[in-house]
Amino acid sequence: MQLEYFHMIDRIVDLKVDEKKIVVEAQVPKESTIFEGHFPGYPLMPGVLLIESMAQASGWLLLGMLKFERMPILAAVKEAKVRGSVFPEDLITIEAGLTHEGSGYAMTEAKIRVGGKLRANSTLTFTLIPFPNADMRGHMEAMAQRIGFPHQAITP
Amino acid sequence: MSSTFDQVATIIAETCDIPRDTITPESHAIDDLGIDSLDFLDIAFAIDKAFGIKLPLEKWTQEVNDGKATTEQYFVLKNLSARIDELVAAKGASA
Repeated sequence: MQLEYFHMIDRIVDLKVDEKKIVVEAQVPKESTIFEGHFPGYPLMPGVLLIESMAQASGWLLLGMLKFERMPILAAVKEAKVRGSVFPEDLITIEAGLTHEGSGYAMTEAKIRVGGKLRANSTLTFTLIPFPNADMRGHMEAMAQRIGFPHQAITP
Repeated sequence: MSSTFDQVATIIAETCDIPRDTITPESHAIDDLGIDSLDFLDIAFAIDKAFGIKLPLEKWTQEVNDGKATTEQYFVLKNLSARIDELVAAKGASA
């Protein structure tokens, strides 16, 4: 994780396009400027960044299902619950699954666990837009390589 | 069994917190009821689930943007209900 750059996902553990599910992992850093304010003496992952992490996990699932032809953009967060704290150096596992694919939008459910214990979950809605420019697509492809996106999982 | 319009109106009322009695077959979802694109995603989701179809929102939007259709054709509720009936019928025919 690089919180300041919104790099929330370290690696894709499993992507099953046919089952419409993904599992990813991320290591919360020991230090970050974010923890200097949230909170001094008691560093804690902000809940909003846990939601962002679930959104990014869902995003990689959708990118895989869409074969990188559309970019998922977070549009709505529902039923988000932060059930327990996530601390620096925690290894988080995020599972996300597609619950509905509409015309130009999709919905997922995602869960964050630490050591097998549920820490957060949410229902998320995404709009699926054409990549607005080559820079963004190039960035996503570079990120995919960085986190070990299994391209073989989306090629016939 | 309630009509398609009744089901759609109930979905809109519950999804967008709009009084049910203000929603008529002549209501334009955008111009009269003030439903924005994000709220319409929730409505589309509920319609997809209730009728077992996939509202072709992207195709409709493209047709409107290209000047090949008007928003009234798809977003006045009596017309939206007719489009839903067509999609349900097409699904039944292909099943």
